[in-house]
Amino acid sequence: MKNERKRTFLLITIPILALFVCFNTIPLIRGVIYSFTNFKGFGTYDWVGLRNYMDLFTDSRVGGSYLFTFKLAICATIITNVISLILALGLNSKIRAKGFFRAAYFLPNVLGALVVGYVFQYLFTYILPALGEMIGSETLSSSLLSNESTAWFAIVIVCCWQNIAMNTIIYISGLQTVPEDVYEAGSLDGATGWKQFRHLTFPLIIPFFTINMVLCVKNFLMVFDQIMAMTQGGPAQSTESISFLIYNNGMKGGSFGYQSANAVIFFIVIVAISAAQMSISSRKEEQL
Amino acid sequence: MRGKSARYLSAALVLVMTGGLMLSGCSGSGESSGKTEIEILQYKPEAATYFDQVEEQFNATHDDIHLTIDSPNDASTIMRTRFIREDYPDIIGIGGDINYSYYVDAEILADVSDYEGMQNIKESYIDIAEALEIVPTDGTYIVPYVANAAGILYNRDMFEEHGWEIPTNWDELMSLCEEIEAEGILPFYFGFRDTWTCLAPWNGIAVDLAPADLCKQVNKGEANFTEGYAEAAEKYIQLMEYGPEDPVAYGYNDACTAFARGESAMYPIGSYAVPQILSVNPDMNIDSFVMPASDSSDGNTLNSGIDLGFCVTADCPNKEAAYEVLDFLLEDENIQAYVDDQNAIPCREGDFELAPYVDGMTEYIESGNMTDYQDHYYPSEMAADAILQTYVIDKDTDAFLARFDKDWQRYNRDIIREVQEYEENGGNE
Amino acid sequence: MNKKVDKVKTNWPVVVLLILGLSTIVFPLYMAVVIAFKQPSEMTNSISGILSLPESWSLSNFAQAMEVTDFWRSLGNSVLITVVTVVLSILLHSMMGYAIGRNRAHSKFYKFVYLFIVSGMFVPFAILMMPLAKQTAELGLANWAGVIILYVVFYMPMNVLLYSGYLVNIPIALEEAARVDGASTWRTYWKVIFPIMKPMHATVAIITALAVWNDVMTPLVIMSGTGQNTLPLAQLNFQTQFGTNYNLAFASYLLALIPILIFYVICQKQIINGVVNGAVK
Repeated sequence: MKNERKRTFLLITIPILALFVCFNTIPLIRGVIYSFTNFKGFGTYDWVGLRNYMDLFTDSRVGGSYLFTFKLAICATIITNVISLILALGLNSKIRAKGFFRAAYFLPNVLGALVVGYVFQYLFTYILPALGEMIGSETLSSSLLSNESTAWFAIVIVCCWQNIAMNTIIYISGLQTVPEDVYEAGSLDGATGWKQFRHLTFPLIIPFFTINMVLCVKNFLMVFDQIMAMTQGGPAQSTESISFLIYNNGMKGGSFGYQSANAVIFFIVIVAISAAQMSISSRKEEQL
Repeated sequence: MRGKSARYLSAALVLVMTGGLMLSGCSGSGESSGKTEIEILQYKPEAATYFDQVEEQFNATHDDIHLTIDSPNDASTIMRTRFIREDYPDIIGIGGDINYSYYVDAEILADVSDYEGMQNIKESYIDIAEALEIVPTDGTYIVPYVANAAGILYNRDMFEEHGWEIPTNWDELMSLCEEIEAEGILPFYFGFRDTWTCLAPWNGIAVDLAPADLCKQVNKGEANFTEGYAEAAEKYIQLMEYGPEDPVAYGYNDACTAFARGESAMYPIGSYAVPQILSVNPDMNIDSFVMPASDSSDGNTLNSGIDLGFCVTADCPNKEAAYEVLDFLLEDENIQAYVDDQNAIPCREGDFELAPYVDGMTEYIESGNMTDYQDHYYPSEMAADAILQTYVIDKDTDAFLARFDKDWQRYNRDIIREVQEYEENGGNE
Repeated sequence: MNKKVDKVKTNWPVVVLLILGLSTIVFPLYMAVVIAFKQPSEMTNSISGILSLPESWSLSNFAQAMEVTDFWRSLGNSVLITVVTVVLSILLHSMMGYAIGRNRAHSKFYKFVYLFIVSGMFVPFAILMMPLAKQTAELGLANWAGVIILYVVFYMPMNVLLYSGYLVNIPIALEEAARVDGASTWRTYWKVIFPIMKPMHATVAIITALAVWNDVMTPLVIMSGTGQNTLPLAQLNFQTQFGTNYNLAFASYLLALIPILIFYVICQKQIINGVVNGAVK
């Protein structure tokens, strides 16, 4: 019995794992090999040893992109998770036109980057400044996107706006696993509102909280589309994300080898972060 | 039951997918057997309609060659992925910029100096192409097809209404701007949120004021940008004073719309912007003039480079057939059709009718007084456009020039080494 | 079990808040719709100009957008790729999630496999792009089948994460009951676990479908030169560096939005109705 179970699991795991290795790990290894060369993306190349890696640590542009990316990821992760959790609770409560609301709140995720870029650029360039002037606010009366110190926050807004939809869906499906009788039992004990959420609902959806945190880290640390649509790294290179740099200089430009090295380091950094994140939250899961 | 059906489903899917594989594997070779296949991959999607027509006409008149022209979006990515797959098109249509330099250096392209049509190409454009080679070679690797020109677009009706004259030197331009401002009109519009547009006025100013081969001199270690670009950098910032208050707030599209709506009298950008402007205001009367950055009226030169040229790849099995296709592309009526369609300037000798938007530049075109864009030598990963955008924001000339020099050395390391090795070997490797 | 027919009254404060929140979505959508109906010559930079209604509600932009993108063929390709990817993802990733979810707590091997696969999520696509372009061509997969395989691999980390997370809330007692009846693990999975994961299937379906539907890069790199387009690839036609026809582009984006929205509404029902078995914990 036990062996049959083990065998079945292995029979499932091995072919799928093989597929994964074939189309993810092997190309990754090939990419890592390029990081030791001065490959431009075509033609011949030379081995340069660790030069690319050494250069990374003295490259202020790479440093700036790490700072920007992490600042954005932390803010956006917090904002997105708070709002989408509230939204999921709202959409899961007893309301009219549930289907309509759920569809409507899903829309931001579907609109293509061109539309999102155009609409938000317009909002930041023309509408917000006009509003700012009306209420007499100095900071708001100029475009958020043209100021080095505010442009990153404009990107945060757009990222949250687009990602809340997906996180909400995951929280909603998490809320479905919370059985009604938990609430009933809770309400007998007098747990309602915040108390009910804090002590009954939230502990049960912690696995989904973990998933959402990991997905946020992935989406925001690897932010690319929103940058392309909104600022292309400007103003004054203040919104160059790491993925943007890797793509723009590696794929479009001629430093494929160097940016491969950047990608390798970046990969190691995120894996370390998410491993830490997952081990913390899985410890939490066990506690509860 | 569910389990079984799921298994059947996955089996069916595997079948469908292998079927799909085989089908797509077969369809590649079937067509038009016996004919020589020539494939062109060109990088200007905006000219796709023109190239579709060319393809059709060519195939209707040629029995021995079958031509396909691909005009994809994001052609640069597609070219690179095809190069890495070693699936080279026979001919590639690219611009005369640093990518061309890289391709020559990577020996992807074939020498086309034996192509007869080359003799009709204007000398100045062949020189521009030769200059783009990182180290001089014996061959020629591109057949320049059409050029573009960048200067300042202006609202012709507005100029006539107020009696403004076309400026021919820097002082005249500055006093014209004062005059326009005095009338309560904005002289220039900029769309610097789209970083690449920062280069448009910069190129215009830099060709007038810096040596044409400055970048090559720097690579050889004979010059630096701090000196070479000093005057250009100052004049660039002077120009900003006559634009919108916060130029980085607006994008290319905003700027085109604003200019089309008469919100500014001039717009320093290439003629490629004309269709976008006309789409907003189809009746607008646009002309352009050469950026008069020099202090003397005869010290200016037209900023013009190869917008589209055709290169035969080294891998092309049938060069003769490729040349026949090039002959067809270079026929008078085909060039004229392209010029009409894209407001371009032909690189071939001949009597062509140019678009009205380059009226102000005809004199320079006819006399051959033109110089290639400085940015055709800038590697894209150096992000010279972003360096300029930073400069527009902080207006610190010294920091800008110092950074340009520093970043140049950093991003051109391999090129500089190659150039200096070549020089050490006495110019012949 | 406890499908309660409770007629608790509607929570009106929540409804009001949700309606207020909607304004952040309605406004961009309004702009998109208005622009999709306008002509390029109606575009301005002034706020009143951009928010005004189009001069006529003609569908010509939509018709033209459909023509430029070769709509039905591109749509067909997009639908094919999306549907096959979603079906394969649900089948393969749920199995993988099951194997991992049930074993990672006590087996070092499965814990490693889990971390190995999930970390695949963080590989920047740019580094994989060149090697993948080469590899798919070598394997004769430079076509839509190759694109599907790549998607199945790309979204595996996220989906395995989702499935194995969901399994934590599904008590193992359910399986044990089936096993006592003599069912094999394979059978138990399809008879008991697979159906119970329905809400997760729907979630995975939505997220995967959406990512595939909007993706440009993979088909661009893999399918270039095959003459086949997906909708997002065809939509690139509206955008060049020197000019973007926003009116046509927006019309086309709105058209492309409809199928995926319908799909979402269907899946959404599954997420909610999926919990017929009620108390899973």
